[in-house]
Amino acid sequence: MLNDKKATELFSRSINGELSESESAQLEDHLSNSEAAKAFAELAKTIDRSIIENSSIDTASCGESGLSQEAKNRMSDSILRAMKKNSNLAATLLDSNDSPADQKFTLQSPQANPPLDSRETSSPYTIVRKLGEGGLGNVWLARDEKLNRNVAIKEMNRHALESPNAWQRFEREAEITGQLEHPNVVSLYQYGTDQKTGEPFYSMRFVGKRTLADAITEYHDRCLAGNCDPLILHRLLTAFLGVCQAIAYAHSRGVIHRDLKPENVGLDNFGQVIVLDWGLAKVVDDSDLSSQLSGDVELSGEALAETLVGEVIGTPLFMSPEQAAGESVSQQADIYGLGAILFAILTGDAPHEPKQSPTSEPLKIKDVLKSIQKNESPRPRDLRSDIPIELEAICMKAMALKKYARHDTASELANDVERWMVNQGQRQSEYETMRMEGRELRTNTQASVRDLETNVRFMANLPPIQELIRSNSAEDTIAWRDRLITIFSGLLRAKSDYRSIVYSRLDGDEFSELVRVERHSTVHSNIRSIPKSRLRAGTCSDFIERVSRNDPDEVYTSLACGALHDAANCENKDVTLFAGVPIFDAQEEDLYGVVIIECDLDHILKQQLNRRFVSTDIIVACDTYQTILHSNGSDGIVEESAGKPLQATRPDLSKAIAHLQEKLEYIDKTNQQVYGARLWLNANPHGIMFLLSHE
Amino acid sequence: MPTEQSTPEYWVEQYGDFLFSYAIKRLRDENAAEEVVQETFLNGIKYYSQYTGQGTQQAWLTGILKRKIIDFIRKRNKHQHDQSEEHDPSNQLFDQHGNYHKNALSWSSSPDRNLQSSELWAIVRGCLNHLPPSQADVFTLSVMEELNSDQICKELAITPSNYWVRMHRARLGLANCVGRQWNSNEEAATHAE
Repeated sequence: MLNDKKATELFSRSINGELSESESAQLEDHLSNSEAAKAFAELAKTIDRSIIENSSIDTASCGESGLSQEAKNRMSDSILRAMKKNSNLAATLLDSNDSPADQKFTLQSPQANPPLDSRETSSPYTIVRKLGEGGLGNVWLARDEKLNRNVAIKEMNRHALESPNAWQRFEREAEITGQLEHPNVVSLYQYGTDQKTGEPFYSMRFVGKRTLADAITEYHDRCLAGNCDPLILHRLLTAFLGVCQAIAYAHSRGVIHRDLKPENVGLDNFGQVIVLDWGLAKVVDDSDLSSQLSGDVELSGEALAETLVGEVIGTPLFMSPEQAAGESVSQQADIYGLGAILFAILTGDAPHEPKQSPTSEPLKIKDVLKSIQKNESPRPRDLRSDIPIELEAICMKAMALKKYARHDTASELANDVERWMVNQGQRQSEYETMRMEGRELRTNTQASVRDLETNVRFMANLPPIQELIRSNSAEDTIAWRDRLITIFSGLLRAKSDYRSIVYSRLDGDEFSELVRVERHSTVHSNIRSIPKSRLRAGTCSDFIERVSRNDPDEVYTSLACGALHDAANCENKDVTLFAGVPIFDAQEEDLYGVVIIECDLDHILKQQLNRRFVSTDIIVACDTYQTILHSNGSDGIVEESAGKPLQATRPDLSKAIAHLQEKLEYIDKTNQQVYGARLWLNANPHGIMFLLSHE
Repeated sequence: MPTEQSTPEYWVEQYGDFLFSYAIKRLRDENAAEEVVQETFLNGIKYYSQYTGQGTQQAWLTGILKRKIIDFIRKRNKHQHDQSEEHDPSNQLFDQHGNYHKNALSWSSSPDRNLQSSELWAIVRGCLNHLPPSQADVFTLSVMEELNSDQICKELAITPSNYWVRMHRARLGLANCVGRQWNSNEEAATHAE
């Protein structure tokens, strides 16, 4: 049955003819029944019709204002300027008899008089398609007809052609790219000018259209769809290491990229990482840097002298604070850029991605730049809480607001990331062991608890239990009582963890013990039966009350501080495990009493913890967050029952504790530092948590 | 020989207004429209040799302009925060059972008042301007440029589901806005009478 909302969705799709027959029938049925949905359909159609009718109407007929005279003049001037810059361009426009042909770039030496050697001068490229465009120029896929291979050709765009600075920048980009010989820097094949237009261009290795930005988007799309593959993150980080290596190399040659972002990192089909677009690169102003840059090949003096002090250069979304301030930048700006790429890999967003609400004013670029200068970058984990803490720390260090706080070199940054990647394998294996240890602790404790439950049920079904109810003479009572004491004592001797076994009679809210056998509090081997005159009686505790509500043979298990009838104050008291079962008069079928076994949980747990663990920090806690035992490498096993909530003393475990309120297991997939397991007690909403971690 | 029909001034004077009008309807931003028209002229000049003479120059330039508009929208979408998530008119229009709130869509075509095409278009255009750009751009490419969903997804690098969400929210937003505007106009007209 459709509702209006679903019907409007179907209607939207129906306009584009995307509905199946059954969906169309459903929609028609709904439209005939819902006036509002029908109104929406009519209105949507009317709007579409209005848009289509008006989408290509001539300006004169609809009274719209066209271009202002000022804009027209600006356009005419701009075209004329472009034409003047190159007479061939003017000829192209004015000679309308030119026959259309494949556009071809034909190499020409940058010098005024082309050299005669044909090897240097002619190598025609046929343009295949546009690959992309940036602020400075457009990149085309072209075919090198001579060498029969694909190449990428970069040419200046129209805006750039009008700017003398852009010409110099384009030339410098080619020079810098050509001199950086590194597997992770795009290889430049040739630089020259188009014979026809006179515009400069250069050809370089074609690495495909896929960039790191595409790979990041794909990874995070998968994550959003619930298919987050750690292997892809590993590959992205490996690509990042390649970028760091290229930048470390460029820095060693005195070149700063200044526009590092995922879009400027090409990825070929074989995993090769290529840093592209050195159009904003700066050569550090140093007299010896021409040799630094290219070994024995010198750059032109103009290129070396050109510094862009005071200009804001780069891409705001990934820009360093000093670039945003228009200050002279150093290699540290690239370290920030690398950190920004790492940020994008981890979060899927650029670090300075504006967060706008629908009602907020559109952001101005100067506001963004101001914010970059003043504010610390957002923390990756604020965007995605599952990012490993160590990786976030590396990213935040690279993107520190202050230059001196960043990594000193790109290699150092790469080493940090690589170290994390290597440790990840070891961490994985250690975490698996931790999980195994945690599960083993839970299983062993569970076995002890189940054993306790079986024993209390067995004790409750002993013949003396019913015989004591029915006995009419003091003689019989003494005889059956003695027999029960003998059996209870035998069980206490066999089970060193059990503290006492009690058979009590209930009368309304009151209890009175009939038999109590207990272990001496200090001399544990001493098991004694409490004389009748010392047996306890009084108001039922919550635990006894809860046991008495059970049906026959149903065990209720619980934790408490101290002995059965002690107050609820846990200070300096061991945590005790109790299991109780109600006793019904077999003849009358009425509730008669309870049998309860009191067990030393600390003793059980200590026995388990007293062995070698990979996990260096183990906490066993009950549901009220009170720590029962704490075992760590240095202090051994410590009893902690100060009554403070564990979340307050160990905030690092709070996520695990919250998770274990409802789940059996907590697995820290992101950081692999904490493992949690929970043991539910019989018929009890509370239980025991085992929290294992590395200190 | 240069002719009057192939000078920059002639092109700007002859086709500038038309191209600008075409662009602004799709981009809803004067500066952006001027930029793509200028790009169109410069490209037209650069590749004038490819103009075969079949069809008018205006149609040929419009072909270039169409491409420029798509490129511009792609860039704009890439650098703008996608507000589609925040701008979901469903909350205003539907109750918790997914049915329209009472009077949520108060539009009805009035039998005694004919819809004036230019009047309606003025309202529609105003409402388009109030949509988040990510929704308006997808809607524009679909309805005005008649690109199919695959083409739009490819051009804007968005997933088909994201495309449908944007399209549907744009339709709801437009219907909501146009309905309200139309009614208030109609009320004003009734009072005037």
